[in-house]
Amino acid sequence: MAAVASSAPGKTPNLLIRLLGRPTAAIGLIVITLVVLAAIFAPLLTPYNPAQLSIVNRLTAPNPEFWLGTDDLGRDIFTRVLYAGQTSLSVAFAVVIVASILGILLGLVAGFFRKADAPVSRVIDAMMSFPDILLAIALVAALGASAVNVVIALGIVYAPRMARVVRASTLVIRELPYVEAARALAVPTPVILVRHVLRNITSPLLVQGTFIFAQAILAEAGLSFLGVGISPDIPTWGTMISGGRQFMNSAGWLLFYPGLAIVITVLALQLLGDGLRDLLDPRLAKDI
Amino acid sequence: MLRAALNRLIGMLTVMAIVVTIVFIIVRVTPGDPAAVMLGPDANAADIQALRQRLGLDGSIIQQFISYIGGILRGDLGQSIFLGQPVTTALWMRAEPTFFLTIFSLSIATIIALPIGVASAYWRGSVFDQVMTAVAMFAASVPSFWLGLIFIQTFAVGLGWFPTSGYGGPYSSLGDRLYHLILPATTLGIVSSALIMRFTRASMLDVLNDDYVRTARSKGMSEWRVVVRHALKNALIPILTVVGLTAALLISGAIVTETVFALPGVGNLIVSAVLRRDYPVIQGALLIVAGLYVLVNFLIDMLYLLVDPRVRY
Amino acid sequence: MKSILKAAAIAALAGISLPNFAMAQTEGGAIDVATIGEPPTLDPMTSTADLVGIITQHMFETLYTFDANWAVVPLLAADMPEISEDGTVYTITLRDGVTFHDGSDMTAEDVVASLERWLRIASRGMQTAESVESVEAVDDLTVEITLNGPYAPLLALLSLNNSAAIVIPSEIASADVMEDFIGTGPYQLGERRPDQFTQLTRFEDYASRDEEPNGYGGGRHQYLDEIRFVPVPDPNTRIEGAVAGQFDYVDSIAVEAYDRIASGNTEPVMLAPFGWPVFVMNTSEGVNADINLRKAIQAALAPQDMLLAAFGSEDFFSVDGAMYPEGYVWHTEAGTEPYKPMGDMELVAQLLEESDYDGSPIRILTSRQYEFHYTMAQVAEAYLEAAGMDVQLDVVEWATLTQQRTDPAAWDIYITHSPFLPEPSLTGIMSDTSPGWWVSDAKHEALGAFNAEADPDARVELWAAVQEVVYEEVPAFKVGNFNAVAAQSPALEGVTPAPWPYFWNAYLEE
Repeated sequence: MAAVASSAPGKTPNLLIRLLGRPTAAIGLIVITLVVLAAIFAPLLTPYNPAQLSIVNRLTAPNPEFWLGTDDLGRDIFTRVLYAGQTSLSVAFAVVIVASILGILLGLVAGFFRKADAPVSRVIDAMMSFPDILLAIALVAALGASAVNVVIALGIVYAPRMARVVRASTLVIRELPYVEAARALAVPTPVILVRHVLRNITSPLLVQGTFIFAQAILAEAGLSFLGVGISPDIPTWGTMISGGRQFMNSAGWLLFYPGLAIVITVLALQLLGDGLRDLLDPRLAKDI
Repeated sequence: MLRAALNRLIGMLTVMAIVVTIVFIIVRVTPGDPAAVMLGPDANAADIQALRQRLGLDGSIIQQFISYIGGILRGDLGQSIFLGQPVTTALWMRAEPTFFLTIFSLSIATIIALPIGVASAYWRGSVFDQVMTAVAMFAASVPSFWLGLIFIQTFAVGLGWFPTSGYGGPYSSLGDRLYHLILPATTLGIVSSALIMRFTRASMLDVLNDDYVRTARSKGMSEWRVVVRHALKNALIPILTVVGLTAALLISGAIVTETVFALPGVGNLIVSAVLRRDYPVIQGALLIVAGLYVLVNFLIDMLYLLVDPRVRY
Repeated sequence: MKSILKAAAIAALAGISLPNFAMAQTEGGAIDVATIGEPPTLDPMTSTADLVGIITQHMFETLYTFDANWAVVPLLAADMPEISEDGTVYTITLRDGVTFHDGSDMTAEDVVASLERWLRIASRGMQTAESVESVEAVDDLTVEITLNGPYAPLLALLSLNNSAAIVIPSEIASADVMEDFIGTGPYQLGERRPDQFTQLTRFEDYASRDEEPNGYGGGRHQYLDEIRFVPVPDPNTRIEGAVAGQFDYVDSIAVEAYDRIASGNTEPVMLAPFGWPVFVMNTSEGVNADINLRKAIQAALAPQDMLLAAFGSEDFFSVDGAMYPEGYVWHTEAGTEPYKPMGDMELVAQLLEESDYDGSPIRILTSRQYEFHYTMAQVAEAYLEAAGMDVQLDVVEWATLTQQRTDPAAWDIYITHSPFLPEPSLTGIMSDTSPGWWVSDAKHEALGAFNAEADPDARVELWAAVQEVVYEEVPAFKVGNFNAVAAQSPALEGVTPAPWPYFWNAYLEE
């Protein structure tokens, strides 16, 4: 019994170990770590510059010199996949941050203040009734196509999901005895929100954040593919696929490898998210 | 129960009203002057102003909002700037490929997902279950446009089994048109099967532990009958829910898939409307798609009320 | 790649010979033509888009047109105009018995109303209006155009099919917005479904000229019952559609796909050379208002690499600084020394030294509507940055580009391309008001002399002087010449490769 009691409060340090104990989650965690490290240390992993043109080497098939071949301007695909990872991952991560901030604000307000619940929930419902990509396209068109605006647009698109999770958790937490006690003691609402509620919803946030991360990578690629996303001269996995499309028949590697990078990364994130959810919030595991 | 239904109706109408407002705001914020786009590079300021007047773009924002709401209530979504036809006509003319694409991919997704989901729940924790969970996750991790391009390359260009893209030209037969939908529907079906599969598995797990299933078993009923007659039947409503919502969400997939396969559907219209800054079309498409989603949601709610009167708002 | 050269040779031959040599023209049948998109309008007066011209040239006709050698020949006019001694009065006799699609007869009144509309609303017309004193009907079949001074480009302007001086019934010509599409052409508008197809059907009462077909001029036979233009905006879809044999004719195919098309169910057709990609400089505002920076850019760019990256193989482009390639009367090497296939980095350093360039970004405005524009922009970016300049690529949609290029504050270079226009003075940079806003005394002197001269041989001489000024002041950078590829069904005969493909005189083999 003593062992159980001691493991409960210190969740975080043990989380990693518990995750690694589950094979699928461990694979997810290891793969996503490797992907992030590969993107960060891209300059050390490749001798080439992602923007260095070499017209004579254009459309070279994969070979020992250019592992994944070259594109139509003779740039090394392996190098570009690594550097594109920097942008794709940063954009997706920034989406998670924006969606979290907006989602937490909306969710806290809806969950904590009874009067605000109905209107805020209806707005969340309304926003969720637009299909992701459609709302993202419309928002990017409204804001103008740029990396920052793609982040804002996708952040807005995913905020309602975060808000729902936060609202649901807040509804439960506000009824907890010590939160009620704090309210009875006239502790200012912001303090309650930050001290008690926020601290207690980190688990669902972490789970939801992981899934939004995965979705955001797919969505950014989709927007770039449709030509309404990040400027095509900035390498992201999405813009690389989009740019390689015209060489689909003659040089399939242009679009195959960036796509593979997306699949690997998103799959790893989903495995990780699944593992996190099972560990942190078994109640959620039944939902999608 | 009537009260609950009324409550839902009011809720739905509120959400609709918010949707309508959000759409108005997004479209008005979008930069670029449709009049200037329409008249082309050589237009002068006077021409542009005259056209703005004709398009009703010169009124105050309140006036525009009122005429926009009035239009929606009359079922008039305005006139496409680029196509020179009413938005409703433009959408209607492109409904067929999108409709069939949605139906086909939903069928494919369900045919793949339902048995696997049921089997996974039945043998939960087995190797089969784990492998299938991983497969579902893999399917959900593949960008649909990328999968579509690989399918085109493999099955259309390489093996020559299917047309690479398009919808069979202006005067093609229905059979020919449907033939053009096989690859796109498969792509979309695979990508969206993951959600249905995981949901089926979860619902079945729920039901398989219920008392009546145990009772049925204890009565010596065959396993097949237990699973299909009792468990699946009861798990069907939540499964139908997710199928219904997937259908509404498929329009997202349709946007990308129609672009990859050059299908002249609603998704394609939306993308070209954004590229052409054809605001009335963007506005109308957003409204209809979101409206359908709200409506499907509402109908599912009503279904629940009918099936299980204990459910209260 | 030998096959390509052969095809080009055949294409060139076909351009000269008459489609009549084949004996088996059959009447009837319908063709599907895949185009690069949905036309924004079917009124060719209001648009300079090639796509609009390609479709509407079947429906509407102009007074004059071009033959296979780009010489002006009469179309609705009975003959070449009588021009007064001083070059200011053009007397044009119309053909008798020409009917519009609505059954009414074409008269001088219709022509005057149409020309007035053209001078009022068409961009090329408004440019011409500055030189036009009056347009009057002398009698039912005679029109007189009076100019305020000699203006040599007039006939070429009256012949072009975009921003075109088409002849329409006077009632329709009185309105600025065209609601009914009534012309005199061999095909009339049938059904139109935006984004799906535009159907043209044979106009039974068409009055063809009697001469042998010659380029856009001469007789126009209506073998086909129906021509359907199907918009296929996605370049890959056009390629795949061509390979599958889904269309009878597919316009604008990426040259990279040549071999793939050749292995499929339609045959590639190459038009060599088709046109020239061009980097237009903003001479009015921003960093490029500085002539020395423009010269530095001209020296820094390596057209050889830009063309290779964009078109893949020398079969599809040629490195050529002359504004017209060999074979055109306007071809001259005058003034082209600054055009260096691989750039001249030493010269760049010197020119940058002389310029006021402060290192602020040079904004290149481009789109991916045409992938080669974007590819060349990327190569240009690399070369300019290697030369010590800062570059900002603004990649936008084509619709946005056509809008933004009219704003002098929005860009420093924009990328476009043009076919080799039959009349050099119609080129964009020659107009003071077209985006780029190139205005200078040297330009006005050279161009003024060129436009006022009526004698063709003298004009060739004067054109060399204009080209010299272009290279001296760099209002634009011509990258080179490129070829266009289209695809055509083996059953479709009688199509002459042309920058704006046309399908009268075309027929389907049994």
